[in-house]
Formats: sequence, structure tokens, C-alpha cells
Amino acid sequence: MGEWRGERRARDARIAAGRAHADGKVVPAGAVVDLLESILRPGDRVCLEGDNQKQADCLARGLSACDPDKIHDLHMVQSGIVLPEHLDVFETGIAKRLDYSYSGPQGARIAKMLYGGQIELGAVHTYLELFARYFVDLTPNVALIAGVSADRNGNLYTGPNTEDTPTVVEATAFKNGVVVAQVNEIVDTVPRVDIPGDRVDFVVEADTPFYVEPLFTRDPAAMTETQILIAMMAIKGIYAEYGIRRLNHGIGFGTAAIELLLPTYGEKLGLKGKIATHWALNPHPTLIPAIESGWVKQVHCFGSEVGMDRYIRERPDIFFTGADGSLRSNRAFCQTAGLYACDMFIGATLQIDLMGHSSTVTQSRVAGFGGAPNMGSDPHGRRHPSDAWMKAGREGQIVGDPALMRGRKLVVQLVETFGDKLVPTFVEKLDALELAKKIGLELAPVMIYADDVTHIVTEEGIANLLLCRDADEREQAIRGVAGYTEVGRGRDRTKVEALRARGVIRRPEDLGIEPLDADRALLAAKSIKDLVHWSGGLYEPPARFRNW
Amino acid sequence: MAGDRAASIDPDALSWYEATARQRVLALTDPGSFREFLPPTERRMSPHLPLFDLPRAFDDGIVVGRARLDGEPVLIAAQEGRFMGGAFGEVHGGKLVGLLRAALALKPKAVLILFDTGGVRLQEANAGETAIAEAMRAIVDVRVAGIPVIGLIGGRAGCYGGGGLIAGTCSRLAVSEGGRISVSGPEVIETNKGAEEFDSRDRALVWRTMGGKHRRLIGGADAFCADTVSAFRKAARDLVGRAPAFDLDTLEAEQARLEARIDRFGDCRDATDVWARLGVNDPESVPAMDTDAFAETVARSPEADHDAR
Repeated sequence: MGEWRGERRARDARIAAGRAHADGKVVPAGAVVDLLESILRPGDRVCLEGDNQKQADCLARGLSACDPDKIHDLHMVQSGIVLPEHLDVFETGIAKRLDYSYSGPQGARIAKMLYGGQIELGAVHTYLELFARYFVDLTPNVALIAGVSADRNGNLYTGPNTEDTPTVVEATAFKNGVVVAQVNEIVDTVPRVDIPGDRVDFVVEADTPFYVEPLFTRDPAAMTETQILIAMMAIKGIYAEYGIRRLNHGIGFGTAAIELLLPTYGEKLGLKGKIATHWALNPHPTLIPAIESGWVKQVHCFGSEVGMDRYIRERPDIFFTGADGSLRSNRAFCQTAGLYACDMFIGATLQIDLMGHSSTVTQSRVAGFGGAPNMGSDPHGRRHPSDAWMKAGREGQIVGDPALMRGRKLVVQLVETFGDKLVPTFVEKLDALELAKKIGLELAPVMIYADDVTHIVTEEGIANLLLCRDADEREQAIRGVAGYTEVGRGRDRTKVEALRARGVIRRPEDLGIEPLDADRALLAAKSIKDLVHWSGGLYEPPARFRNW
Repeated sequence: MAGDRAASIDPDALSWYEATARQRVLALTDPGSFREFLPPTERRMSPHLPLFDLPRAFDDGIVVGRARLDGEPVLIAAQEGRFMGGAFGEVHGGKLVGLLRAALALKPKAVLILFDTGGVRLQEANAGETAIAEAMRAIVDVRVAGIPVIGLIGGRAGCYGGGGLIAGTCSRLAVSEGGRISVSGPEVIETNKGAEEFDSRDRALVWRTMGGKHRRLIGGADAFCADTVSAFRKAARDLVGRAPAFDLDTLEAEQARLEARIDRFGDCRDATDVWARLGVNDPESVPAMDTDAFAETVARSPEADHDAR
């Protein structure tokens, strides 16, 4: 032994080399490549902050412009593979190995590169899982992050899209790593300190403001009556029955329809205050009518949403905001909240098999997981009861000592039997298994495993999988709500009717819902402009969502 | 049928943008007065769509018939924007042309056309293009006979392609904020000229350039109404009462006005530049204005009302 400070010395050397291109901590945008080439070493683990919304795009362009003779074989450890540059670095040899979570827009290219062997894949993670590994065996040597503004000492204001930044910085700065932040502007005093300056080594004034994707805006004008029917069934058959107060929603149109039905259909059912009061959720514009009608008590956010800043500032009783008034989001904390403090996760998926395994992978795309498998899982470490959790536990457990019974998180899949372009949602075998075989993945990219799923809701009805007592019942319950897909038509009618008699399957009429009542007139807002009106003019939708 | 559901048929509550063609017709005209020609029960469907393995509609996406508006007889046609974007096919176009020709014999107080169309149906383009030309010719004949033809535009598909041409032939047009009137659509312009010229995904730009407010401010439309069926009903009644004469003077004035418009606004880069030149005080605020505020702005703009559109 004897060497205890090798990492620290290496870090000091990198920073000293970087200072040659900086004025104090401040680096001009034109010197990004020089800076990166002086602080990076071949084989480094690097987090190039790409979240599902905010992108350190200026630093990404800089990294992809580095000389591969100097900087090569990097191990990228970041949650989002979103920008083309995130993959360009693997084509030039600057990077070699990858551990990540989400790759929505780059899903097709990443599949091709994995297949071609250009990327050595560690694993595809959930957000929380990747963050956890930052502190165990994937600690970055260098973190390249993004914020709105910084002062000359490196104190950083992330703006409403704080997202992954505190987690990435925590892991890097406190374990001998180097932190470089790109900011839209250098200021004398930041509006609030999201990251203290002694954790930031270099600040780059970016040539253009960092890019943010409006990922959580769903236009009410595009909502269909089928989605409204499914939403009505979910509200009446699940939210009301279990008394779901604490929850997370996915980003699909089905859950957005639920948000828009709370002040109308939910109100009519007398559910205000009894359901959907506490949320782990991004600031969805479609939640505005429910907030304005007094349904929502509070919302903690993973990130922000384009156009929602002014609205959030004026609603600090609802959202988490800083002393400056703007939203403070935090992906790691919100994922933890979704895992442990919510009684239900409800979201959509692309494929569901006969046991209830689901996946968003198709044959040619690896979109990654993001946070859904985390929030859509039953946390075995949970020890606090709630009525919803205990009721689900009672439904699911039939053997053993009742005194030792524990609760169950509700994990609900909300799908139309046929998805985009009339592709069936229900399949005999997930495409994910085929893909895993093709590109040699040890673990097939399953989004939510069957044993975590408690309910499947389609336009044909609700299947309560907690009440299924064996694999055959489970299969028939799924077939029984799979509509006119091959899987649905392959049902055993007698068994399905028996399941319906037991309440395992429930049709709209079993719930007292008339399908013809599923009318767009029920939506609290029918357009983006209606949402602007609900917000009192505070919501400022991006141009691509406007029709005025 | 959804159109008969009481909650949805109240003309004051029913959104024009949201409504189906049938709901619009039933709520726009006097209760119980509508009689449909070639209704869905007749199964007059497209002979071409099966070749492309595409679904057909029993009415080919257009509702035509006679009705009463304030007791006066009118002929009415309504395109269904939800079926193939309200596009003109052979049967669809034939129904409109037939209705217009029938006006010469039936002599209604007016013909109302409820546009909701992306233009010609690509799968039966020749028949569609022919129908557009025939419809324009028929409108000329109807107007010459002294019968006003009123276009109402506020549907999801807008009024594009040949629909935009037919609208240009009408006596008067009423439009709502959600309505769009143009010939080439945003995607077509972007495909041909590039996203730098016209970014079709910038929907605020699309509406500034082709939307109801812009068309009203430059006088391309003669009435601007809120997005309810009752507002369109009121607009239709008003416009029937003040249709311009159809003669050489009107046409020459129209030609002169169009030339002057190019001279005056041809170098503008954005609709807000046009509005500024028209004397709108705060052009940037126009898109967010509600109907009343916008009506005041129109009232201050001398060019919005003109017999030569």
C-alpha cells in the first residue's frame, strides 16, 4: 500500500492542464475542444449529460470534434442517448463502451450500431439504477453537464430542468472527478445556487442555449374517443375502487385523457379529494385543468416542461420551487418518490405478451427504459401502509398467514388493442426477445415484467391480474381484453366469461359505463388553447403545438 | 348516432372545429328542416378506393341537401374532414357539383358550403381535379343567377388545395380562428421550398400565415366568428344579406385589389409585418386575442371589408 492519493493527483493534473484554456474557471465556447482534449484521458468514464429533456449539446459537439488519436476508448455513462453526437463519438473511436438508460430518438441507430459491433454495451438501465451505479462501479472521471447560468466561481443555476445534474455532479466531484458545465450565460449572481461552485471546475459559455425537448405535452385536440373510454374505465374501475391518491402517470395520450377527465367525469363521480391528489410527475400541461379545479395538492417533478415556467412560478403551493420562484426538479429524487411513495404507476406500452410482460422495443429499435421499469415495479423495500396498497395486497395474496401479508403497488398498463398503424399491442412473443438474440444481449429488454403488472386496461375492459390464480387464468384474462387482435380472438370464451363473472375481467357495462358517453365533450380542455385559458394565460405553449 | 346526442347538439355549446359534418349541418339549420340528398343509406361510395385497399365512407365524406335558415330555403353541403381529410374524390365532388347545379332550378335563398378539406384526393386525382373545375364553373352560374354562395371555414382540415380555389369563387366567406384557407398546404411548401422558407412544424407560423385571423385582417374572409355553430349560423345569415353583385365591375375591382396587395405586402417576411402595415398597433398580440378584442381590431382596419375580396 502507500498510495492513497493517486486519483486526487491525477485530477489536479487534469485541472492544471485545463486551466491553460480558461480564465479562472471560465472557458470561451471556441476553446471547448482544447479544454476537453486537455482534461480527458483515453479510457475515461465520461458522463455527457443527456437527460430525456435537457442536453449538454455544446459540450457534445465539442467532444465529437476531439482528435481520436488523443482521446479514444471512452466509456460513456449517461442516462440519455438523444443527440446524433452521442453516437457519432462511437463511430470515430472517441468512445467505445456504453452504459445508458434511454435512447428514444436514436433508438434505430443505436440498434444498428450495437448489431454492427461499433458499441460495446454494458447495460441498458432504468434511471435510478444507472444513478446508483454512479456511486458504486460506474463513477465518472469527467462529467460534462448543462445549466442556465453560472457565476465566475462556478456556482450554477440549472433552471427548472435540474433533472440529473445534482446526481451526476455528486458522484463525480466527490470522487476525484472533473466537472465541466456549459451555461447559456455567465452572470454576476445566479438566481439560485443549484450546484455550489466548489463542485464545478470549468464553466463554458455556450454558443447557443441548451436544447430542451417538450416531451410531455399532449395536444388534447388529438385525443380520441377510444382513449376517453379507456380513461373513464381507469378512473371508475381503478382510481375510485382503490382510492388512489399518490401516483405517477406515463406520457401517453391515455393518461393525458385521464388528467383532462378529472374535473369533468371525476367531478361527476364525486371523486374530488379522494383520488389523484399527490403526484410524482413532470409538469404536464394537461394537468392544468385538474390543478385549477382544486384536485391536485402537490406535484414533484423529474424535470420541467417547455412553456410551463410562468405557470409553475405562480403556483408554488403545488410545485417545488426555489427561493427565486422557479421550479426545482430532480430526477433521482422523483424516481425514488415514484418507486416508494406512490401507490400506482399507470402508463402505456407497445407490446404485451400472454403473461403480461411488456416492452417498447420493436425489431429495429432499442429505445431504452428511462424510468418506467422503476416506477412500474413493486418495491419490496416498502414498509408504510396505505389503503390502496393494502387492498391490492389482499387481492394478490391468498396463501400464508394474513398477519404477515404485505401490500402491493398497482402497476397498470393502459393500451388500445391496436396501436399506431393498426399494429396489434397484444402478441404471443415480444419482439424484445428476438432483438436480444440478434444483437447478443444477455438480458432481454423487457420494460415491465409480468409479475409487476396488476391491471391491463383496454377499450374492451379491465383485466385484474391480481385476482388470477394460475397461469392459465392470467392468459385468458389478458386474451379477454385483447379485442380483435390474434391474441384476443384466440380466447376461450367459456373461461373468459367465468373470469368476468368473478370480476377478474370487467367490461364498460360491468362498470356502469356507456361507451357512447365517451365523447370529446367530456374533456376539460379540447385544445392547447383551452389549456392556455385554464392557466389564465400563464402557460406558453411552444410554436409547434399552437393553432392560432 | 352521436349527432343526435342532446349534449352535443346545442349550437351555442357545439364547437365547429370539434363537430362532425352532420352535426354542423343539423345544428346550423332550422331544427328538423334538413333533407339529405344521396344519404348514407344510398351507399354512393368511391369506386376507386378499393383499388388501393382503402376504406370507403357511405357518403364519400360529404353531406348535401336542402334545409331552412331562419325559415328561408337554402342548399347546403358539408365536407367531413375526418374522412380522408375531407378530400375531393369523384363521388364527393359530383355531389357538390350536383347540388350547385340544382340551385339554378330550386332557386334557394343561398347555397352554403361548409369546407373542411385538404384538397383533391390523390387516389382519384383526375376526377377530383375535374370536380373542382366544375364546382367553380357551377358557382359562377349560381352567382350570375343572383343566388349568393357562402363558404364557412373552421374545420380541422382547413380549406386547402382545390377547396381553397372554390372558396375564392364564393360570394362571401366566414372563418374562425382554427380555420385555415390556402392553396398549397404547409407541408407541400416546405417540401418544395425547404424548412427555411416555411417550417410546417411551426404551427404558430402556419396559423399566422393561413389562419382565420390573417385571412380576415387582409380581407380574404368577410366575417370572423367564434368557434361555435351558433356563431357560424349568425355569420351565414349576415353574409347572405350582404353578398356582392357578380359582374364585370366586381371582378375588375378584385383584380386591382389583388395586384395592389402584392405591391404593398410582397416584401413582408411574416404576417405580423403585413398586420403592422395594415395599421394594427400591436401585431404580436393578434394571435392571442379573443374574439371580441379581435373584432375591435378588425373594425379599425379599413381593408378588412371590401366587396372585391
